[in-house]
Amino acid sequence: MKKTDIGVVGFMYGVCILFFVLSLDLKPEAQTYPRFIMAVLVALTTLYVIQMIFAARRYGVTSGMEEIFAGFLPKQFFCILAMIIVYLILMYLVGFYISTVLLMVGCLLFLRVPKWQIIVSTLAIIGLIYGAFTLFLGVKLPVGLLFK
Amino acid sequence: MLETLFLMGQGFINALSPMNLLFAAAGTAIGIVIGCLPGLSAAMGVALLLPMTFTMAPETGLIVLGAIYCGAIFGGSISAILIHTPGTPASAATAIEGYQLTLRGKAGKALAVACFSSFCGGLLSCISLYFFAPLLAQLAMKFGSPEYFWLSVFGLTIIAGVSSKSMVKGLMSGAFGLLLSTIGMDPIEGAKRFMFGQASLYEGINTTCALIGLFSMSQVLILAETKIKERAKAAKFTDKIALTGSEIKRLTPTILRSWVIGNLIGILPGAGASIACFMGYNAARQFSKHKEEFGHGSIEGVAGPEAANNAVTGGSLIPMLTLGIPGESVTAVLMGGLIIQGLQPGPELFTRYAPMTYTFFAGFVLVQFFMLGIGLLGCRGFAQISRLSDAILIPSVAVLCVVGSFAIHKNFTDVVIMMIFGIIGYMVRKFGLNPAAIVLALILGPIGEKGLRRSLVLSGGSPAILFSTPVCWVLIGLCVFGILSPIFMNRVEQKSLEQAGGGDIVAPMED
Repeated sequence: MKKTDIGVVGFMYGVCILFFVLSLDLKPEAQTYPRFIMAVLVALTTLYVIQMIFAARRYGVTSGMEEIFAGFLPKQFFCILAMIIVYLILMYLVGFYISTVLLMVGCLLFLRVPKWQIIVSTLAIIGLIYGAFTLFLGVKLPVGLLFK
Repeated sequence: MLETLFLMGQGFINALSPMNLLFAAAGTAIGIVIGCLPGLSAAMGVALLLPMTFTMAPETGLIVLGAIYCGAIFGGSISAILIHTPGTPASAATAIEGYQLTLRGKAGKALAVACFSSFCGGLLSCISLYFFAPLLAQLAMKFGSPEYFWLSVFGLTIIAGVSSKSMVKGLMSGAFGLLLSTIGMDPIEGAKRFMFGQASLYEGINTTCALIGLFSMSQVLILAETKIKERAKAAKFTDKIALTGSEIKRLTPTILRSWVIGNLIGILPGAGASIACFMGYNAARQFSKHKEEFGHGSIEGVAGPEAANNAVTGGSLIPMLTLGIPGESVTAVLMGGLIIQGLQPGPELFTRYAPMTYTFFAGFVLVQFFMLGIGLLGCRGFAQISRLSDAILIPSVAVLCVVGSFAIHKNFTDVVIMMIFGIIGYMVRKFGLNPAAIVLALILGPIGEKGLRRSLVLSGGSPAILFSTPVCWVLIGLCVFGILSPIFMNRVEQKSLEQAGGGDIVAPMED
């Protein structure tokens, strides 16, 4: 049994509790089906807990973290995740194209990609999106609050 | 019969329109590029490019998605042969003999065999698509609300078992997806459910956003978490990318065997191209007259897996189009594309929308020819693309995920939903749950709910209606089969892998 599975089980029970609490506000007729699904999820999660207990008795308990996060680089991962989240916020403020250039250049510089590749990749992505989405599909991409 | 022949002919006339041909060619090329990049998978490619098909006619959109699917399955063989890293798990067995041929200076020959076998496997799979799909659709016409309920349960039992090491975890993923599918308006009462004050959730969670997040954005996060690896330099080759008549004659029995294997695997829910390729390889080795060549670069060892994995494509479309049961991740994404076009998989595709469906079938046939042509002519170029660094893929795919999810309704909420599902997808994959089961539950959940609740309304609340017809019992039996089949399939895959000795080849990711 892996300790990380306790997190999975906790998450599933947590989701069920959240939806159950939210379902209290629903009309009785609208409650039945979601509660049936919750019951199924609780039953399956409990079945998994039983499997975990048996596995713990038979094979012992391991952390599981080393296996799941082997080679995990926290600095790189969280920086890229943060860049993507900042990108979404910037997109809302300064528009799609400016924020995309900033993400591409920032992310590629962070990952130490050679400069000529940064320029080519950024131009290729911008060109692809402009051609496919703006020209072909006619999608009006966000211009940003600052330029509205 | 005559009507079907007429529809088939009409389908080819429609599919041969310049626009359809152009998109089929572009889709195939994009698919090959996605396939030959070890960081990307077929399901991810189809999910990522799904929004681009919105404004197209349904048949054109489906042809593009089918082309990406076929192209990606073939494309995986290019990096498997040249850099010993399969672009997709479907090409894992190809790397065994393909790379040996490359080491012997016969990379061109290996690529030609892969291309020709993929073409034959894909083309032959179209025969079963034309033959079996309408038959199964006729059966589905007899379905009522109780049958649709069981059908959705059947679909969930299948996908829940696929790709998960633990079957219970797979089923938990399915149930989690079903719970998420209850977000939005109640289909019978019209009451708002679990909308967290967001009016944009009125119609439920947008399936395309969920698909892009679960398959594509999660992959960005997976690529971002580890050290960026330098890819091996693709081997330069000077030999011709061509086959002689005698080689084609030698490969024919292998290709035919692999076609049968791939097709059956494709139709069988819960099995996919990654299983078919190893079974194709084993069959090729078992029946070969040149067994001594295996392990040192056998052209039959390349043809077997490549014909088998491409034969899966047509077969896997059959249960998806006729019953709405996708047997693997890629067809689940394709089904999402079908629903987005306003089409419901099932018998209607062969009655009301028959011209569209047969145009798609004809387009699927033409895609195989594009795959052969583009594959043979562009192999050298694709070989260079397969070296593209993950560092470039990370921001590029992230941008495409964002723009793709925004393009659906042109609103920012969809982008946020995609991002949330991206993080859920990442966690789900890390902790051994199954993203494909979640997606399928999001798609099948509303169908099952409507089927169940309508049945109960019809019967005055008695659940006996769910067991009232022989078809219901057949479907219940299939549900039991669906739950048990992953156990059998895992054994088959493990056995094939051991026999092929392909355990040392690192499959880049799940299908």
